Amino acid sequence: MSDISPDEVRSEVQRFWAIFTGTSKDRIEELYSSDAIVFTGSAKRSDPATLASIRRTRQRAKAGSGSAAEVGAIEVQIAGPDVAIATYTYQFRSSARDRDGSTMQTHTQFGRATQVFQRDASGKLRIVHEHLSSAAPAKMEKSGQ
Amino acid sequence: MPAIDSISAEQVQTHVHNFWRVFSTKSKNEFSEQYVPSATIFTANTPRSESARLMVVRRARELFGPTSSVTAKLGTITVQILGPALAIASYPLHYCVTRTLPNGRRYRLDVPFLRATQIFVRDKDGVLRIIHEHMSSAEAVEPQELPENG
Repeated sequence: MSDISPDEVRSEVQRFWAIFTGTSKDRIEELYSSDAIVFTGSAKRSDPATLASIRRTRQRAKAGSGSAAEVGAIEVQIAGPDVAIATYTYQFRSSARDRDGSTMQTHTQFGRATQVFQRDASGKLRIVHEHLSSAAPAKMEKSGQ
Repeated sequence: MPAIDSISAEQVQTHVHNFWRVFSTKSKNEFSEQYVPSATIFTANTPRSESARLMVVRRARELFGPTSSVTAKLGTITVQILGPALAIASYPLHYCVTRTLPNGRRYRLDVPFLRATQIFVRDKDGVLRIIHEHMSSAEAVEPQELPENG
């Protein structure tokens, strides 16, 4: 099996955001190994990726006009023949309809991401650990009832 | 050549506790040795990653002086072993720092819900070192100014 290349990792990061923002119909859980652990944006503790994937799928279903992400330069550290660490910054915008009919828009300006990829037995890269955070609180704005 | 055992979860947990002991005792040289020279770091409030070397210099300047203090109460440390010489530790912690600025004002930053990811590699001498670290707070926190004689 070939060693991991930085371009392969960058391509998986772009795939993650395409799924996350709904521009790809692939399933988000396919990105993770079965025992992956994630720190999502504001959770106080880490979660199994299986739980986080269910929650993210629900959130995407609730979203009104969807979401968009801009990913900065992706640094890749090759940590072994089958492991790589991707680190980058991102901006993320999403909107979700409230019960009162208004729309809540959220803008994460200073997102930071660490994603650790490992090649599995079938040769696919999977995320084994993820830490998403923001250096400043996301801006939230309610509009249009 | 002697066989080298794989990293164990207990070794990583012990190393994490040692990392925070070194941090809170403010030993700059020992703190610097926790990282490989090429390590990258996301500290809790910086918008971009930085090199471990830069971060060590900054932390030493800001936090390792005689009137500064660092305390950390660690939660459960989860360890993922990715290979014989590679492991990830992730854990929540309560982090508290007090520092004095050059103008004499003292500040305290209390972060009850800090989250830490540290990726360790075992070097050729068998020592665990951090190759990447990501710290973040689950809640927005602001430093509080302390009274002059506080």
